[in-house]
Parts: sequence; C-alpha cells; structure tokens
Amino acid sequence: MDLPTLIQTIANSVVAGSVYAIIAVGLAMAFGVMKMANFAHGEFFMAGAYVVYVFYALLGWPFPAAVLMAIPIVGAMGVATERFIFRPTRDNVMAGFMATAGLAFILQVLVGQTWGVGLMRSVPTPYMGAMDIFGAKIGWQRVLVLPSAVVMLSALWFFLYRVKAGKALRACAQDPETARLQGIRIGRMTMLAMAISGASAGLAGALMAPIHPVTPYMGHGVILTAFIIVVMGGMESIAGAVLAAVLLGFVHTFVTTLFDAVTAQMVGVAIMALVLIVRPQGLLGRVKA
Amino acid sequence: MFLKKTMGRREFFTASSISIAAAAAAAAGSSFEVPSLVGSAAAATPEPIGDPIHIGFLAALSGPDAGWGLPGLTGNQIFIDRVNAEGGLLVGGERRPLKMFAFDDEATGSKALQGAKQLVLENDVRFISAIGGNPADATHPFLSKKKVIYASLISTDIMPDRPYLIAGGDVTPRIDMLRPFYHRFVNPDLKRWAVISQDDTIGLTSQAWEVGSALADGWDVVYDVNYAIETTDFAPVVTALLATKPDVVSLNLSYPTFVVQIVEQLYLQGFKGLISANYLDTESILQKVPVEYLEGAVDSFPLFDDPWWGSPSWQHDFITEWMARYGPGAPEDVHREITGIDWDHVITLKVWAEGVTLAGTVDPDAVLETLRAQESIPSILGPSTMAGKEMWGIDNMVSPPIPINEVRGGVKRVQAVVRFEGWFAARKEKIIKVVEEKGQMHYQR
Repeated sequence: MDLPTLIQTIANSVVAGSVYAIIAVGLAMAFGVMKMANFAHGEFFMAGAYVVYVFYALLGWPFPAAVLMAIPIVGAMGVATERFIFRPTRDNVMAGFMATAGLAFILQVLVGQTWGVGLMRSVPTPYMGAMDIFGAKIGWQRVLVLPSAVVMLSALWFFLYRVKAGKALRACAQDPETARLQGIRIGRMTMLAMAISGASAGLAGALMAPIHPVTPYMGHGVILTAFIIVVMGGMESIAGAVLAAVLLGFVHTFVTTLFDAVTAQMVGVAIMALVLIVRPQGLLGRVKA
Repeated sequence: MFLKKTMGRREFFTASSISIAAAAAAAAGSSFEVPSLVGSAAAATPEPIGDPIHIGFLAALSGPDAGWGLPGLTGNQIFIDRVNAEGGLLVGGERRPLKMFAFDDEATGSKALQGAKQLVLENDVRFISAIGGNPADATHPFLSKKKVIYASLISTDIMPDRPYLIAGGDVTPRIDMLRPFYHRFVNPDLKRWAVISQDDTIGLTSQAWEVGSALADGWDVVYDVNYAIETTDFAPVVTALLATKPDVVSLNLSYPTFVVQIVEQLYLQGFKGLISANYLDTESILQKVPVEYLEGAVDSFPLFDDPWWGSPSWQHDFITEWMARYGPGAPEDVHREITGIDWDHVITLKVWAEGVTLAGTVDPDAVLETLRAQESIPSILGPSTMAGKEMWGIDNMVSPPIPINEVRGGVKRVQAVVRFEGWFAARKEKIIKVVEEKGQMHYQR
C-alpha cells in the first residue's frame, strides 16, 4: 500500500469508526439499562434516513433542519417500543428480542408500502465536494459525521455523568434493584434509555441518508455491525462501544481496501471472538460480582 | 477533466467496419422503424377473435429487487393493450387477445417455483417475463417439463439444458463487452482499464466477459475485482481501485444503488478519467456529483425521449403513452420517473409475439425454431437475431443492436448503435479463453 492510499484509508477508517460509534452507542445504552437487545435498532437507523428523505428530499427543508427532525421522531419511536414491547416483556428476554425482530419487519413493510420498494430513494448530497487532508480526500458529507459524533458523544457523556437523570440511568444500568430502592422509577429510566437509543440511531441514519442507499432494508446491514461492536465493547459499556466502533472502523476499512467487505466482516467477527476469549466481559465491560 | 476524444461519433460510424444497426438511418440520426407483424398494418384485415393467450409476469414486485421487476408491468401492459386494441395477436389466421397474470417471486427461488406452478397450472400462461437469476435456476426444471418460455433479463441464465429459457432483452453482458471497444475507438491513447462489479453470479460472469473483451481490444486490465455484494461503504473499494491509476473505470453490471455510491466516491477521491458502466441512473447520480463530472460517461440504457430515435418513433410514442397512463397525475400514477425497466421486459415479449405470429402457433418449439430461422426479427431496439451458442451453448439469446450512450449535459444520449455478432466473431477465441480461465463459461458454472 503506497503512502497516498494509506492516508486515504486512515481517513476512511476514522469516518467509518465515527458512524459505527453513533449507531452502536444507542444499542449499548438500551441493553445496559433494560438488559434486552433491540433487534429493530437498524430500522430506527432506517427511519432516521427516511425522515431526511421526506423533509429534505421531498419537502425541501434545509438539511440540518431535517436531521434535527429525525432526533425527536425516532426518539419517540424508541419510547413507543419501550412502552409497548419491552415493558410488557420485561421478564422474558427472548420474547422481547423476538418482538423487536417482528417490529423490524413491520417497519420495513410499513416504509416500503408508504414510499415504495425497489431502487434506492434518492437523497441529494447537501454538501458536495471533498476536503483534502494530507492528500486524502473525504467528502464533506462524511466529514460532517465526525464532529456530529463528537458532539453527540460529548452530550451523552455530560448527560450521564453531570445530570441527575443521567446518573439515575447509570444507576439502573449498574444495579436496577438498588436503584429502585433509592426511589428511581425504573420504568421512566428504561423509557428514557430507549428515547436516547432511538434518537441516536435516528441521528446516525439522518446523517448517513445522503451517503447510504436509502431503502426499507438498509437497517439489515447495520444491525450486525452494531451487535458486534456492542458485544466487543462490553455489553453495557458505552465507552467500550465507542472504543470497539473505532477499532472495527479501522479493521473493516483496511481489510476492505486490501481484500473485500466479506473478509472484513469475517475478520471483525473473529476479533470479537478473540476479545471474548481473552476478556469475556468485553473490552471495557465489567465482571459481574 | 476529461480526456480528449480523437474521433467524432460520425467518424466512428463511418470508419467502423462493424455493421451498425439500422445502418444508414441510424448513422444519419434519423428514426428507424420498429416494424411489427402484430402492429396496425397486420390488423388492416379483421380476423376472427380466438381465445386469449395468457402471459405471465414472474418477478420481484416487492422487496429489494422490486426495482428490476415492478416497473416491467407497465411496459408489458402497454404492449398488451396496444396488441389488443388492434384486435389481438395474429396467430394462425385468427386474432387472439393477450392477458397478463403477475406473481411476486420476491427474487427467491422457492417463491418463483410456486409462482411458476401457479401461472402455468392455474393461469395457463404460455410465456413468462422475468428478471432471472436465482428464480431462473429454481424454475427451469418445471418450466422445461411444461414447455413454457421463460424470458429472463439476463443472458447469463441461458444454458443448453434450459431449452425454453430465452434472454437478451437486457443487453448484459454484450454491452459490457463492447464498451472497451467503444472507448478504445474513441480514445485510442488510453491504456489502463479497471473494472469492478458485485460478486454475485451475474456480476462474476458479466465481468469475466468484459475482461476478456478488454484484453482482446488491447487494454491493460489493471484492476479486476468483484466487491462483496454486502458492501455498504465504497470508500475503501474506490481507494484500492484508484491506487492502480486507471484511465477508465468500468462499473460493469454494478447495481444502480452501488453505481451511485461508487461514482460519488470516484468524484470525491479525485478520479479524473472516464467512467463507463452497464447502467447509469443519471438522475440519482447527479444528486451526488456535479453535472460536469459525469460528462462523457458511457452506458447502454438509452432514454426513449432521445432525438436519436427520431419522431415519430415507437420509443417516443411509448414515452408519451407511459406518461399519459402512469406519469404524474395520470390515472394510474406510479409516483416515480420512468426507468429503463419499464420497457426492458417488452423487448423479449415483443420478439416472442413476433415469433408466435410468424409460426402461426404458441407452441414453444415451433416459436423458437421459427425465431432462430429468421435473419432479422423486429424489436424495439432494432433488428434482432437469435444467437448465443458460442457463449451459452444454445441460440436462445435475443440479440438486438446495442445502443451506446454518453452523458451530455447530464442527459444520456445515444452515440452509436453497434451490432454485436460481427464484433464478437473477430475476437471470440481470445475472449472465450479468458472467460474459461476465470471459470465462467456455461459448462464451468
């Protein structure tokens, strides 16, 4: 690999890692608080992309406004999922998992019926052109993902560590029973976790809409990567998810450049397996007492 | 940004030793007729009305592949309604109306077999329009047994043991074989050819034929990779490709969704050479790159409003009729733009209809035998032949002339219409050797 290709590949990796981080953090948070996996997380990502498709591509809103719209809309979808799926199935992890798998298919069909299936929805690139970094060229639309990821993760960190509700959320994730004894309302916290989870997936989808093919099935490709990241990072660890996302971003990008995307996916899963052998709790997960 | 062309299109036509479709009319840029035995001339004398002939449409009407199937219903229905408006298809001295039955196979083999059985056993269809691929693999034993003609879009589905499977309405992979020749002819100074497509069956096969053709026409093939069909981020794919410093990047049969992303990455990562593809969805691509970046890019799906066809023409009439029926605010508004798929399935349907009229029967053996015996069969892309034995082991490839387009000011415009057979005959040994080396001949797959 020559130097220009190496620089370009590193730049590609940083962007990919940022995208993975935004997508996976919400999944990690939901799992941390509820101990349940949301199989429809990829479809939340898809919903965010469709919000941009509707408000930006169809209705002509400014791109930033359309992206901001995705946050409350998909956040509300997260709340509804918690209220109507996870809460009734709280004592049955498998039922919750299967119900969200069903939700994923329902959302795909619903979107397909509403906006059509087949070839991708066309979302114009709002910021055409590329930024030159030491000879590497990154499209402005991709560059935008990087600060967005930093802002979102910083805001999340601030919320979790500096805001009372965020601290309560962390308490629920660490020990729900003790948190309940402290007067924290678990139901409200799980709803908040799903709102944040949905909002972050929606934001990721919204930012990626001009880059990623927008189809009802776009969430499929995302969910596997998100699960790998969350498992590798440590199921309940947001910091672990971010670390794993960056790591996987580099692995996927370099292996795809040198070989292909299937090999990259295989290497990603192999690294996850290796991490779990060496550290069963994940990169930054904690061993249960 | 783009490399200087050394020969104009007109010079290309006159200098080329290849036979050019529609010969002088095409070279002059005027219209060429789409003559038809099922057209109005044949309907001048009223004949008795016979039983309807049932036509099947077995393709993805939902799911990710629906873009290749669903639009085909519109074109086939327009064709059927035109035939019926003229009294029906002329078969053995009587006119028989056409009626279409559709089944959504969701691009899966099991659903396709279910659909084939329903269409044949319950709806008694005599001809099936389809996309092909896995559904073709799954349905051919049943359809061969029942002797029902299955028209795939993809020539790579043709096999010697599939006597009733015809294909070729879609110009794949013939256009992918001719594009290196076209670029070589227009830009003889260019040397380095890079080609990518997805790693599914048709991508592998089509790319093998293109690589063989590029080598036969003197290109240095500097990059020949099939990316994983699961790829969602094309930045690393394009980075690896551009490291080989190609003059031309060919996207072969990359699906339109992938093409948009790859062209965007070519633009973002600073590629200055020529772009060539089986199909360019310019409307979607121009949402991602400036119009000037796509100038001169080559593909093979013409627009039917292209002045090339002349006016009046079958193509222009089709557009007008489609817009009046399915366009914005029309009675059956489909809420999308017209695409190449709207007329792609019609190519083979019309050829089959011509065969039925010529044979005077819907018997598939007689129809295919009759079509193979014709020197020229009218099709919506010009005079066709039944060919393909050297490529697929059986003459079941409908082979109309191949339009080659360049993007001009953001719009695709036909630059040449090339007949495939003469070009292939002069190079087939070299090409087939490469395809064999890549294990993609029909007897190797």
